[in-house]
Amino acid sequence: MSKQNKRVVITGLGVIAPNGTGSTAYWHAISNGITGIRPLPAEHEAFPGGVAGTVEPFYQEQTLDRKLIHRSDRMTHLVLTALHEALTDSRLQLSKENPHRIGVVIANTMGGIGFVLRQLQALYTKGPHFVSAYTAIAWLNVANVGQAAIHYAIQGYCKTPINDTAGGLHALCMATQAIKREVADVILAGGCEAFLHPLLLRIFAQRQICVSGNDPRAYRPFDRRAAGLILAEGAGICILEEYEHACRRGAPIYGEIIGIGQTNSADGLTIPSPDGRQYARALQQAADRLQSDELAYISLDGRALPALDQGEVEALTLTFGADAASIPVSVPRTMIGHSYAAAGAIDAITACLALRHRQIPPTVHCEEPGYPLNMVRERARPLDRGTAVLLGARGTGGSNIALLLKRCDEQSGEYT
Amino acid sequence: MSETTRRVVITGLGVIAPNGNTREAFWQACIQGHSGIRRITRFDASALPVKIAGEVHDFSPMQHGLTPDEVQTLTRPTQFALAAANQALHDATLDTNFCTEERERTGVYVGTAMSFVEEGERLWTHFTNYGRYDNEEVNDALQICITPATLMPDAAAVSIAAHHRFYGPCATIATGCSAGADAIGEAFWLIQEGQADRMLAGGTDAAICPIGLNAFSVIGALSTSYNDRPKEASRPYDQKRDGFIMAEGAAMLLLEERELALARGAHIYAEVLGFASNSNAYHMTSLPEHGEPLQQLLKQALTECALSPADVDYINSHGSSTQPNERAETAAYKAVFGERAYAIPISATKSMIGHTQGAASAIEAVVTALVLDQQLIPPTLNQEYPDPLCDLDYVPNVARSHPVRIALSHSSGFGGVNSVLVFAQTGEHDEQAK
Repeated sequence: MSKQNKRVVITGLGVIAPNGTGSTAYWHAISNGITGIRPLPAEHEAFPGGVAGTVEPFYQEQTLDRKLIHRSDRMTHLVLTALHEALTDSRLQLSKENPHRIGVVIANTMGGIGFVLRQLQALYTKGPHFVSAYTAIAWLNVANVGQAAIHYAIQGYCKTPINDTAGGLHALCMATQAIKREVADVILAGGCEAFLHPLLLRIFAQRQICVSGNDPRAYRPFDRRAAGLILAEGAGICILEEYEHACRRGAPIYGEIIGIGQTNSADGLTIPSPDGRQYARALQQAADRLQSDELAYISLDGRALPALDQGEVEALTLTFGADAASIPVSVPRTMIGHSYAAAGAIDAITACLALRHRQIPPTVHCEEPGYPLNMVRERARPLDRGTAVLLGARGTGGSNIALLLKRCDEQSGEYT
Repeated sequence: MSETTRRVVITGLGVIAPNGNTREAFWQACIQGHSGIRRITRFDASALPVKIAGEVHDFSPMQHGLTPDEVQTLTRPTQFALAAANQALHDATLDTNFCTEERERTGVYVGTAMSFVEEGERLWTHFTNYGRYDNEEVNDALQICITPATLMPDAAAVSIAAHHRFYGPCATIATGCSAGADAIGEAFWLIQEGQADRMLAGGTDAAICPIGLNAFSVIGALSTSYNDRPKEASRPYDQKRDGFIMAEGAAMLLLEERELALARGAHIYAEVLGFASNSNAYHMTSLPEHGEPLQQLLKQALTECALSPADVDYINSHGSSTQPNERAETAAYKAVFGERAYAIPISATKSMIGHTQGAASAIEAVVTALVLDQQLIPPTLNQEYPDPLCDLDYVPNVARSHPVRIALSHSSGFGGVNSVLVFAQTGEHDEQAK
């Protein structure tokens, strides 16, 4: 491999999550077990009394132009707000960079569903002339990278992966590969999702992906009572940067992406496979050459369905042997719900913050653990071993993505 | 990993297009200049100003190897993609007998822009009783029409991987009209860098439905003057064009590491030399007049492939039958290729099939591979009234035999993503790579 020698580091974080907007507020919540899962607003007639991870009002018109707000969907509002925070955090001045060497890779699954449902209503009840001129612009998945590129005059590598619940982590993998192959120096990477609409919730409940009751504690991966996900909305953005580039500008470095893995279980259109073999192969690709005692913790996929949780445990055992029972593991996402394409990126942000603050955020609501795992439950635990976090994600259909993040020893910024 | 960069070749092609549902039928239609654009039959378009589209006709999924279960549960764009993938594997004589290790080294990347649109609209009309929200029975009907596959925008890639049990990298790219080329480009990189040995890559879309068409007709992006002459409607570069024609289809290419392909004596259509992609950062739906982003992109692609402008023998253009697009394109070609721009044959596949959205750039990659294989260039149809600002050689109306060693296929996507694939004739470039 000719062009694979570049190192990729994370130099900025932006997060809009149900339990916190901005990485400071988010870390405070996620490290203290504060959840953002709440009853859905009354208009969710499909889900009377249902619960989800909803994001509280988050944007100010200083960061988002009024016109743009009306011409784009909530998913784009979420991601532009997260981008603004991540860029501020990274202290990157885009105006000083070559715009052709900057990229945007933002995963998204369901597109601007809220925007298009309003247009369907207009089309079918009023007629074709009442459909918004911004429909296609606001609705298609590509809207997020398109608007981000325009907003920040970014002219390099821009991509929109769709990979079900693994999309956000896959976006980070794609961006890492692009920087390694010297396609870009900096990539704004992550994911966003804003799909908490009655139609979607109903379909997901029927597909047995999410729970349909009103218990805000019902997302319990690896618990004997596990019965599915609670859905959420949100956005997570990481600034991925070529290491030398980050050093030259004295950027703060959260960590280095030192391994990625990507396989498929070939399950077809069903929930992820209970068979952990291909997932194990992705974890092995990412954690290749790593000793298991170098792992601070593993951020698990945690689909919270018995067969799938069993499959994930099996994958850990295949990957780490007897050590699988002793490596700390956690699913901090239980505090916010599963935000699909945003989730993997938010998981990576959690891991960056965990490495910085030397604390492992807990898996809440797993009160009756059903598997032999060293699970960080109920409250945060000091991060007292290792310097790397392995993140795993599985998507419906069989996509398996893994990413290995390591605290960067050669810090150029304020953190050591 | 070996010291030298792994090379990637195309050994299988599959197409479902408005003018042909197999590689052979599609290619013959392209060479003979047969348009696939007709009156809309997929839904009642009488309330719309647009009444024509490039629909896929006579599609029988079982003939393309789909199982009865797949025919029942998969949506139209997913069926198209799976049919095209099956064709590509068959074409590459690889449709049987993979061992587990080979399956682990084979992946699927699919580009799509709108694959969940038609199904989403259908579900919404069931759920709300066409926006009236008044019918409990309709709500119950929704329960019945939801399957585990309902509303999965990445269903095509996933279904192909499941059908053939491929365990390698699998993903969907949704970069608008560049999606298919992006999927092919990413797949090319994965093989080049050793993450896979073989990749099925391409694109699919089928959104000829009320909201799919309305989203574009409401901004005047679709042609409306040729409703009674559908075959004349898509006329890239022609003075009398008035917008693109919505179409559906899919194309999948089998990309293979070159040594593997040579070892099994596979027919090689073309070699993938390079892929480059950038973003306009200009406007969601339009382009700067002189096509600066495209200029930059083409230069970048040539540099990465160590080619000079003089090396390029053919361009399959984006050519969507939209005036600003084609003027910007033409200006960019002139800026990059100088005088040589006038000597490079350029053809626009969309003149025959319309704009198949996320599939378009994959279908155009198939055409480009076949041009290199057959040394024959399909025409751009409906060239009657030249636009003075589009004065290059667009291979008007009639196919042409022409020696082609290096070919480009580029696309400009909605949302501002531009991508280009660089292909080479087999056997060429061997010296240069060493």
